[in-house]
Amino acid sequence: MKSSVRGGRSAVRLFGTLAVALSLVVAGTACAAGGQPTDENGNVEVGDPQPGGSLTVLLDAGFAGGWATGLDPATSNTTGANLPQNAAIFGGLFTLEPGEDGEGGQIVPNQAEGYEWSEDGLTLTVTLRDGITFTDGTPFNAEAVLWNWIRELSSGSTGAPRIDLNTSLEPPQLDQAFLDDLFAALPEDVDRDALNGRLNAIRVVDDLTIEMHLNAVNGSLINGFPGANLNLIASPTAYKEMGARTFSEKPVGAGPFIVTANTQSQRLELEKNPDYFKDGLPYLDALNFQSAAGDQVLYQSLLAGDGQVVEGLSSVTLIQEARNNPDVQVVLGTPTSPYVIQLNTRKPPFDDKRAREAIYYATDFAAINKGLFNDEGEMSQSFTASGGLFWHDTVPGYREYDPEKAAEIVEEIGGLTVRLGTTDIVTARSVTTALQTQWEEAGIDVQIDAEPLGDVINRFLAGDWDALLQTAGAWDPSVGIGVGVRFGSTSPFSGAPLPEGAANAGDAIAQGLTTELDDMLAAAIATTDDDERFEVYQQISKYISDEAYAPFGMAFSPAQVMKKGVHGPGLDQPIPALAVNQGVLYDRVWIEESAR
Amino acid sequence: MTSHATAATAARPEARSGALGRVAGSPLARLITRRVLVAIPLLLAISLLVFVLLELLPGDPAQVQAGMDATPEEVEAVRRRLGLDRPAPERYLSWLFGVLTGNLGVSSVQQKPVTEILATALPPTIEIVALAFIVSLVVALPVALLAARKPGGFFDRTIMVISMALLAIPNYVLALLLVLIFAVAFRGMLPSLGYVPISAGLWPNLRTVILPVLALSIPLMAFYARFLRGDLVEQINSADYVDTARAKGVGSWRILWQHAFRNSSFGLLTIVGLNIGGLIGGTVIIEQIFSIRGLGMEMLQALGARDIAVVQICVFIFAAVAIAANLIVDVLYAVLDPRIRYGRN
Repeated sequence: MKSSVRGGRSAVRLFGTLAVALSLVVAGTACAAGGQPTDENGNVEVGDPQPGGSLTVLLDAGFAGGWATGLDPATSNTTGANLPQNAAIFGGLFTLEPGEDGEGGQIVPNQAEGYEWSEDGLTLTVTLRDGITFTDGTPFNAEAVLWNWIRELSSGSTGAPRIDLNTSLEPPQLDQAFLDDLFAALPEDVDRDALNGRLNAIRVVDDLTIEMHLNAVNGSLINGFPGANLNLIASPTAYKEMGARTFSEKPVGAGPFIVTANTQSQRLELEKNPDYFKDGLPYLDALNFQSAAGDQVLYQSLLAGDGQVVEGLSSVTLIQEARNNPDVQVVLGTPTSPYVIQLNTRKPPFDDKRAREAIYYATDFAAINKGLFNDEGEMSQSFTASGGLFWHDTVPGYREYDPEKAAEIVEEIGGLTVRLGTTDIVTARSVTTALQTQWEEAGIDVQIDAEPLGDVINRFLAGDWDALLQTAGAWDPSVGIGVGVRFGSTSPFSGAPLPEGAANAGDAIAQGLTTELDDMLAAAIATTDDDERFEVYQQISKYISDEAYAPFGMAFSPAQVMKKGVHGPGLDQPIPALAVNQGVLYDRVWIEESAR
Repeated sequence: MTSHATAATAARPEARSGALGRVAGSPLARLITRRVLVAIPLLLAISLLVFVLLELLPGDPAQVQAGMDATPEEVEAVRRRLGLDRPAPERYLSWLFGVLTGNLGVSSVQQKPVTEILATALPPTIEIVALAFIVSLVVALPVALLAARKPGGFFDRTIMVISMALLAIPNYVLALLLVLIFAVAFRGMLPSLGYVPISAGLWPNLRTVILPVLALSIPLMAFYARFLRGDLVEQINSADYVDTARAKGVGSWRILWQHAFRNSSFGLLTIVGLNIGGLIGGTVIIEQIFSIRGLGMEMLQALGARDIAVVQICVFIFAAVAIAANLIVDVLYAVLDPRIRYGRN
């Protein structure tokens, strides 16, 4: 027995020695590079961009690092998630550029020269920059944009834009060869009538000008471009030569980089486009995207040198750890999308407004922000945060944390039992656990369901949920998973009430029924005047708050984590997140020579 | 062979094709045939079970694939495209017929034939599982023999402590620790991510599989070593034939290797057979952590996207491998112990 204990101690000593040795090696590795030069204010001095070098970007397999449906903008279902790859391959007609001093952002024409709305706001005219060519040498012109837009609207991708086009115009004169190529690039079962209508509504004016005719004013259309496939213009000639499959794996655009190798949802390798339309850009010779599973793996791979950038690290503890690592720089994005607890008003218990109010009063997001996010999340009372357009920091009459009031209501309604769902990721689970504790203090029984994203989506679709912790909003509240997706009555991801007389969302659409909130959501994009839009969004916030549809919490933006010496817009210059992660403008990303 | 001889063999069916005929007619061959015949309905039952379970999964695959803001018409179009508007029995039979005729269907997400997906997903998984299996046994066997030679000795106690510690660590934690040591601390020694196929060179390939193989095999080698060591010690302490061998002056190594190990190998075989399924299951997590697009990762991603054709075939392959492993174990039993071959045990 004695000898056994001795043996155990020997083993413990062995492990102890190994652990100490390991920590010394890790610490040694971490400290090896040292700090960077700083100016008198302590800010890191960044010199002029230096061309050359190769960069590997690590992406979360569950989001940006998944491109299972390929990278053809017309058939990819993950365009919104694959912003990094898209920026590198296609560049984009418009880009969301960082604002001055890291605040806000603005839409800037990129491959487009500019855009203009007609006086009635129903016709958008986009002009293209002259002299751009795709990387296969063919011209980037209005006909190519038309070919792409029609495919993107008609190819059946789940990311297809939903635009209310005026399809009743006279058919334009179109070249038969163009039509043949377009039809050959569309699914066989495409709806020909709908297709012809789109060809009526989107018209080539001249080689560098294209028009889009709408039925109704759409004030968020241009703001939505940087995250949508309409922004991504691919070479029709390359598609014709390569065929659908090869093209989706190695698409040809006019962006700063050319695809050289692609293992879908695993690794994408790109090299510099020598004929890029911006002089001197891109800076990098090569750019790779590597998919990895989860924050821990992403961060470890960065430390291991298997990549130089992690796009969108959201684990607070790892962000903190990265901040303490002198080899690594951490830049938090400008927050746009706060956490929100959506309440399903279409079934008990939250068809009773009092139950919804109890949740508002029982929820202390400020405490969660302090405990879980080191007070770094930005508190919000509505569907946008300071990085978003139309942000307003408070909502009049918003119900604040008041546990006694919550307990009174719970008693009054004879108890409250809630199934609180969330996506099965560490941060979201931590938030729901904290909420469970807070709510139980108010007498609310809580069961947490943490499920994979697909299952959460299914719950939404089946209406089988009470309360779901989500994020809401986007840079423009009406773009992407914005306020309409979370609160529009016909959105499958909404818990707001259906219009009176509608049995379900399909019925509401068929009968043309809307709620007061739907009308406000429509009004928010029915103008291109930003001041008018701002006012309507304030009304929407007030309405959601008054009806107690969903308490909002902290907006926390994932961080860009990089090895020291990596620079570029969207990396060390924050850009507001269009939806989840901020975009990176890879044509201007560069690495200091000493960091290569 | 003369015509006389041919006539003679024809007259005796069991000797129809010489040695082959002897094997075919042997008790071992009958055992294999019987087990294979049992495996076929078992596989069919599993395929049906998988199909039913996928049907029972909450949510609608058409709605998942149609996207967040699809209209009911769009969802219906996707349903038609995926063939989900057909009755379930018809879909199952159609899938089964496809599998039997080599048509595994098309991935509704990746829009390519499932056979093509398998062609890229199977090699890394097979390589990792096979290497993990070999490494775990190659390490565990000598360690167990050495430990069992002097039970309670320093080596035995050290091995028991280490193996217990390794068994307590889940393989995903172990994977992260291995990355921390071999990729982060000794930067550049081994990559933390990705898979390079053998066609790109043996060393580049091995560099990418060493850590996943270790993550899978270390808990397994600890388990095998503990199990075999325990069984060997029991054999040595309690079996009469060991006492007899000792009385004859047979050395401890020979007793261990030639007597005790042969008997202990039955238990080990059983455990190994049972573990094959777990080993393959482990690749689901390991492939995620090391970003290797193998069968496990394909299945997990297909499950999330409700890509039924891919999920169905992946689960079917996992089940088939587990059944095949057990079949091989049964055959090995029969090879090692003639009593089983002749149905006496």
